[in-house]
Amino acid sequence: MQFRLEKRPEPSRLMLYGTPVAAVVLTMFIGAIIFSLIGYDGIGAVREIFFTPLTNAFKWQDLGVKAAPLIIIGVGLSIAYRANVWNIGAEGQYIMGGLAAPWGALASHGAGGWWTLPAMMIAGVAGGAAYAAIPALLRTRLNVNEILTSLMLTYASVQLIYYLVRAPWKDPMGMGFPQTRRFASEALLPNIIPGTIVHAGVPIAIIVALVAWFIMTRSVFGYQMRVVGAAPHAARYGGFSENKTIWLALLVSGGLAGLAGMLEVAGPFQRMVPGFPTNYGFTAIIVAFLGRLNPLGVIFAGIVMAITFVGGEIAQTTIGLSNSATGVFQAMMLFFLLAGDILVRYRVRRVTPQVEARA
Amino acid sequence: MSLELTIAIIVTVVGASTPILIAALGELVVEKSGVLNLGVEGMMLVGAITGFVVAFTTGNHYLAILLAAAAGVATSMIFGFLTLSLSANQTATGLALTIFGTGFSALAGQGYSARPVTLLGPLFPAELATHPIWRVLFGYSALVYFSLAMVFAVWWFLKKSRAGLILRAVGENDLSAHSIGYSVIGVRYAAVAFGGAMAGIAGACFPLLLTPQWAERMTAGRGWIAVALVVFASWKPFRLLAGAYLFGLVMTMELYAKASGGPLSAIPAELWSAMPYLATVVVLVLISIRRDASTNAPACLGRPFLPSN
Repeated sequence: MQFRLEKRPEPSRLMLYGTPVAAVVLTMFIGAIIFSLIGYDGIGAVREIFFTPLTNAFKWQDLGVKAAPLIIIGVGLSIAYRANVWNIGAEGQYIMGGLAAPWGALASHGAGGWWTLPAMMIAGVAGGAAYAAIPALLRTRLNVNEILTSLMLTYASVQLIYYLVRAPWKDPMGMGFPQTRRFASEALLPNIIPGTIVHAGVPIAIIVALVAWFIMTRSVFGYQMRVVGAAPHAARYGGFSENKTIWLALLVSGGLAGLAGMLEVAGPFQRMVPGFPTNYGFTAIIVAFLGRLNPLGVIFAGIVMAITFVGGEIAQTTIGLSNSATGVFQAMMLFFLLAGDILVRYRVRRVTPQVEARA
Repeated sequence: MSLELTIAIIVTVVGASTPILIAALGELVVEKSGVLNLGVEGMMLVGAITGFVVAFTTGNHYLAILLAAAAGVATSMIFGFLTLSLSANQTATGLALTIFGTGFSALAGQGYSARPVTLLGPLFPAELATHPIWRVLFGYSALVYFSLAMVFAVWWFLKKSRAGLILRAVGENDLSAHSIGYSVIGVRYAAVAFGGAMAGIAGACFPLLLTPQWAERMTAGRGWIAVALVVFASWKPFRLLAGAYLFGLVMTMELYAKASGGPLSAIPAELWSAMPYLATVVVLVLISIRRDASTNAPACLGRPFLPSN
């Protein structure tokens, strides 16, 4: 008995949306086994990382706060990856959004008003988009690979934070800590549910995903992104400019990453600190894939990824598992998802070996 | 600038360049076979923690390097299985491998931070390197000589050997290579394994050659710089050597600037730290302006191969 792969006439929708679920379930099973084999409490790790954040109602607010930036960045990346534009520097664009926003907040400290937060939001989007414009310019003008440039710029942006909080932006009253002063109250995101940490970024994330879904499925822009990614030749024939698509993909994904950076710095952080880069920009890559590059799927994927983050913190305190176990689980999820991709395009057929003529 | 300082700078540059050179040589062979593995950074981190733990527990540096290479191969096989056997997207799988390596090394390295190991000593007896000039030639550890030997070895393999010819054929035209009867997938598996071994050794350079300890993400993006260098070198081993040393120079320029006390010492430390990454962008721009760079890329780079259709 042998198995053979046979190309499907068209991609299977069942497999397209079934494999992400299967990837999460497989990660729990195989993860429990592997972690047990290497000497950890595997079942406990899976329980704490994947289930406790859901069963413990007190943790739901953390899920929302962690999922919001992942969804916003993940939506942008899913649009870019649809167009075959590999922006993997979202972390850097998130950082630049987080740096552009307080720039105004610090300058206008105490003299702001109702307009402060909207202005910071615009600055955040502009900061992220401007940083993504560098790889866009280099790719469209000089055909420089955007994977490497966007990533290199991420490493550089981390150093920019260190510089700003060490010298020009340093809080003079901060007892020598390298950080900015706490933003004035008008530059802080309002809490939308009293008594919790849920800030305005959470509904914004949902709105961003819904708007993106609408645009991607119902507008010419969305059609252009999908066609250029799926069939570049046909797109050129149909009059869609490849360069324009690259620009749009990078500006949209960079701008959304910048928005997430602004929401984080004005929300949970309330000031700029050296620990601002929290890898949301990298984790959002997994979110985009797990959500099948579909903005609605990204909402669910963002929540799943937030569960593993919150669960990883729980596991650290309850069973003493290192926080980095979360990253291993997240990577496993992506591995299983990528492995399952073949089932979308191919079906496995059982073939009985044919008797050879010579025999 | 004194002779002593010049020599000290050369020795530091060679040290800083070595892991990038080793990792880039591995990636060059992988790409020549038509596969783009963006997981170099992740495989390096797995190699770094393996090398550190083995050196810490056994004190045997050569065993540490060997097992780091083995760990790199094991990690690269995840990539190989997904992209070659299951024809998964190479870009996404490479990214996943880097995320995995970062998480795995941090998990495995838990409890090892701030514990010291000893650096790998010089290969040649100290008497050979007493004079400063001789130190430039004989003052390094075995890893440095290994990296230089591998430049020749990779060049010879690709240009002169039969196996290298097959590997290049697979990278340039996988369908023809397949129809002549070569195993495209088999050759690519071998190339990916070699890339994994080299990345593992490159990772081990960090605790054994540069800073004698373990720190999370201690490779600090050098794996990505190695990937960029392969493009910079237009897939040629000797250009890779020049490129790696150029980067080593950029990375150690801060020391030189501070020591010279000139106007360069006014540049903030953070800008120096950002320099290798900015230099990578500049280098990629320069190389794209030159015409022959992209035309030299293996024709099948990044394309999955499925003989059944």
